[in-house]
Amino acid sequence: MNTLISLTDNLRTFWSYTGFYNAEPGHLIMILVGLVFIYLAISKEYEPLLLIPIGFGILVGNIPFNEAANLQVGIYEEGSVFNILYQGVVRGWYPPLIFLGIGAMTDFSALIANPKLILIGAAAQFGIFGAYIIALQMGFAPNESGAIGIIGGADGPTAIFTTSKLAPHLLGAVAISAYSYMALVPVIQPPFMRLLTTKKERVIRMKTPRVVSQTEKILFPVMGLLLTAFLVPSGLPLLGMLFFGNLLKESGVTRRLAETARGPLIDTVTILLGFTVGASTQATTFLRVESVKVFAIGALSFVIATCAGLLFVKILNLLLPKEKKINPLIGNAGVSAVPDAARISQSIGLEYDPANYLLMHAMGPNVAGVIGSAVAAGILLGFLY
Amino acid sequence: MTPIFEKTLLIATIGMAGIFLFMAVFYLLIRALDKLMPFQEKKPAEKWSEETATEKEEEEP
Repeated sequence: MNTLISLTDNLRTFWSYTGFYNAEPGHLIMILVGLVFIYLAISKEYEPLLLIPIGFGILVGNIPFNEAANLQVGIYEEGSVFNILYQGVVRGWYPPLIFLGIGAMTDFSALIANPKLILIGAAAQFGIFGAYIIALQMGFAPNESGAIGIIGGADGPTAIFTTSKLAPHLLGAVAISAYSYMALVPVIQPPFMRLLTTKKERVIRMKTPRVVSQTEKILFPVMGLLLTAFLVPSGLPLLGMLFFGNLLKESGVTRRLAETARGPLIDTVTILLGFTVGASTQATTFLRVESVKVFAIGALSFVIATCAGLLFVKILNLLLPKEKKINPLIGNAGVSAVPDAARISQSIGLEYDPANYLLMHAMGPNVAGVIGSAVAAGILLGFLY
Repeated sequence: MTPIFEKTLLIATIGMAGIFLFMAVFYLLIRALDKLMPFQEKKPAEKWSEETATEKEEEEP
């Protein structure tokens, strides 16, 4: 009889540790979100390299377990494996490493050949400051608003880096929002691109960019680093690594290092970053009204950034001679979703003129957007950290 | 306008001005780079020697 009672107790204890016993509606909602991410990545091919790790991370982070039992399996339990991996996000180690890889795979030629395109990358940062103002008006604290605003830069690593410093408690919401909207750039941007441009503007043909010498390509990251270091030192972890990676690529004598930075290193860090960000969306900490607000402001910030880029080109065109006019369809590429935003410029441009290839022109503002959002992050950190 | 909103506007204005300033300096540096080191297409060595040889032949009486 005692054995039976003991067995029943053991089974009851075992049951209390299972996911079925600890499951709450929130866990199921988040598991559904994770499955949607995986579906979008595989079926629609929306940013699969990010959405698969994040989606699977969401599944892992939302497996219900007995949190009071100190099993050290949850991402927020100090000392757990996931918690150790998550430190790269919390302490901001992963984003600069990602930027190193981005630098090693980015060709700044389009920007060097037509430097006025860099200003489009600046204009699109209105998305960041517009969202910052909106977030503050919606009741967020200044540091939280800064973290939410950075979603408008359309740059996941920058958003994570800034949020880890300004408002770590919003990290999950900001990161998921930034990456979700980055994946949805092909859905968000085209309607505004059509709305804000005329048919005549959409068929503007731009001059083929000049050839850029190797010396210019080598000097560009060195100049960029020095400019960053002196003007916006708080952006140094991101921009310093971006330009370092680019010098590895362009120097021509560190091919192995450049290949490692843009290959195995960035892949490893992307896996760790995506997975841990996904796992950080544990329903008990993630499903709050605040997160919904972050998502709403994030969507608005993308719209503001897109519109600001497009309108800026239209204004710039008023000052340029006819032969130097810029096709406003590349204005959307001022956000730093590389190269998706530039590809959208190309595809919309081809719809109206099948022989007008805008990709090489759009890459200029696109890489300028990467620099611009990191500068904006540096400025926000300078004011609010 | 509340003081917080005023401060927000100030940060946003300074922020955007800062980004444009940064990009403008970057723009000027790239222009300077282009002026100082304009791209020159390298002529292939053989073609160059042929041209030089032709020039020399033409110069000879």
